[in-house]
Amino acid sequence: MRAALIGAGQIARSHLACLRALPGVEIVGVCDLSSAVAESTAERFGIPTWYTDHRAMLQAVRPDVVHVTTPPTSHFRLGMDSLEAGAHVIVEKPATSTFEELDVMSRRAKELGRVLVEDHNMTWNKAPREILRRIESGEFGEVTHVDAMLCLDILGPEGFADPNSRHPALALAGGAIADFLPHLASLAYVFVGKHRQAHTVWKKRKDSILPYDEFRAVVDAERGTATLGFSASSQPDAFWLRVYGERMQATANLYETRLTFDGPQPGPRAFRSLINGLAEGRAVSAAAAGTFVRKFRNGPQTYQGMFEIIARTYRALTDGSPLPVPIEQVLEVNRLGAALKPCAERA
Amino acid sequence: MRVLVTGANGFLGQRVVAALLARGHEVRALIRPATCVEELGWPAAVEIFRADLRSTPDLEPAFDGVDVLVHLAAGMMARDDLQFAVTVTGTERLLGAMARGRCRRLVLASSFSVYDWSAIRGTLDESSPLEPAPDLYERDGYAIAKSWQERITRRFAEQHGWDLTVLRPGWIWGRGHSHLAALGRRAGRLEFVIGPFTRIPTTHVDNCADLFALAATDPRAQGQTFNVVDGEGERIWSFLGAHLRGSGERHIRIPVPYELAFALVRFAYSTLFQRSTRLPHLLIPCRFEARLKPLRYTNRRARELLGWQPPLNALECRARTYGTLAQPV
Repeated sequence: MRAALIGAGQIARSHLACLRALPGVEIVGVCDLSSAVAESTAERFGIPTWYTDHRAMLQAVRPDVVHVTTPPTSHFRLGMDSLEAGAHVIVEKPATSTFEELDVMSRRAKELGRVLVEDHNMTWNKAPREILRRIESGEFGEVTHVDAMLCLDILGPEGFADPNSRHPALALAGGAIADFLPHLASLAYVFVGKHRQAHTVWKKRKDSILPYDEFRAVVDAERGTATLGFSASSQPDAFWLRVYGERMQATANLYETRLTFDGPQPGPRAFRSLINGLAEGRAVSAAAAGTFVRKFRNGPQTYQGMFEIIARTYRALTDGSPLPVPIEQVLEVNRLGAALKPCAERA
Repeated sequence: MRVLVTGANGFLGQRVVAALLARGHEVRALIRPATCVEELGWPAAVEIFRADLRSTPDLEPAFDGVDVLVHLAAGMMARDDLQFAVTVTGTERLLGAMARGRCRRLVLASSFSVYDWSAIRGTLDESSPLEPAPDLYERDGYAIAKSWQERITRRFAEQHGWDLTVLRPGWIWGRGHSHLAALGRRAGRLEFVIGPFTRIPTTHVDNCADLFALAATDPRAQGQTFNVVDGEGERIWSFLGAHLRGSGERHIRIPVPYELAFALVRFAYSTLFQRSTRLPHLLIPCRFEARLKPLRYTNRRARELLGWQPPLNALECRARTYGTLAQPV
């Protein structure tokens, strides 16, 4: 399979690191508006050609798969051009700026017989996968509720709130937080299914150029409910996932390796909290050590889910196995994402 | 002569602006939109041009009437990609705007970090080899960005026939920036000094700024590359001692032999840490060498070609850094 990338910023490096390790995948080209960024990326990852014009690249290298890793407002145009050039598309989240754009792009992918995959990387991290495995085995019981809360300081001067250079994500409805909504929406989708209705609160807590820095939502979905949140002020940075089942509850920090379960234990009921508490203590200690060691090792880090999605997508394109993020999921997650946007901007 | 200075409000930039004014030049200072100019204490003669090199749509007006560009702006962020965006993409956009105007002369602030420290023995000078790919990508984000910044600047200059001078400063120090990365590793009140007798390529910010001001306007500097150091380099032990005395910090220096520390780092890197590039810089051999390798340094080329002498001697540098001696505006 011949892979090419459009956009060679931070997230592209993780895509390239993954692709470089995949057997049967050849990275044939990289494109960025900055020739220095494109050329240095090509040099760093041993890519034979680099471009500053994505159409020129698509025509010249004829990739089987294009990874769109540019700022979100450009995804639609670049994704459509890639599809028209005959390539499958793996697009970073959020797939498009609006649901209407995604609808058009997904229809075009279907007409052309191409695959469109959005990187719902958090859903393929180890912790959600282990919880989903226990749900499928029946051990967890039916899920009643999922709570996903992302605490991330995006108010620092180096990122979204840089007063000197407007971050491209601020062009999205909801601003910088909208860049993270697909994480929250995709976790809600995999645990409780399609949403029926959503109620949101968008707030601005700190003085910055961001339109909002706090977000909460309550979602009613076909298999349960979800509460989703983003806080730019709560510290330390963490991505808490709590899943409530009829037989068990799970807690994970997706920025670390922490995953604990609280469920029934053999023996007298009075010992349940003690046994679970001790087990949780052991798991938290082991995860703390694991997270510490992981920080200093080469590897996907918090992007383990992305590596899994990319590897499984290429496998699906090769052997016809199921896609890790089917188009139904992409559409439903973005439908929820649109419903979560601030009311005025949604209108 | 009118000089456009990028990164003008930075540690070096402020002193370069002062040095250019002292030589009687007009200065246009390019600073980012959110920077508070009043705090800088510049005289009214300094013209302000507000722009962010990454994103300001039109940088061409910055060059109106400008004779020389002194390009100091560089990213100092923790994230490598942001550092690259500010330093390299910003330079690309700036020089693209320059190419559409009439300015044909520039001075680039490069860095000692562009050298291939692992390959150099004895004296590091302007003829020493630069870090080649792919080894460059094991170095830190600053070294990668500065290498690429110099690379694309040379290409622009060649393509457009500009007069380019590249200045590569060593460790720039001065008031508020006197505990250099090459000095001790702090643990409580202890300062572990790796290679206490190693020389460090220091240049006091005022000496460094003086060479930038000279190179900007001296025709003998055109087409040349100069390392900027005040001399052959002071030993870490004595430099740190002066820093501790000057700053009033009551730390205890513990010497650690360089060869022992480097052998341990190399062994741990290839075994325990499995060649990870996510380790602290000093645990990655090529980055360790780029900070601590015992070499000698020289400013012979600047002395011979430009007749430059650092205006401040060591005692004056310390007095200006730690004492009450005010920095001239």
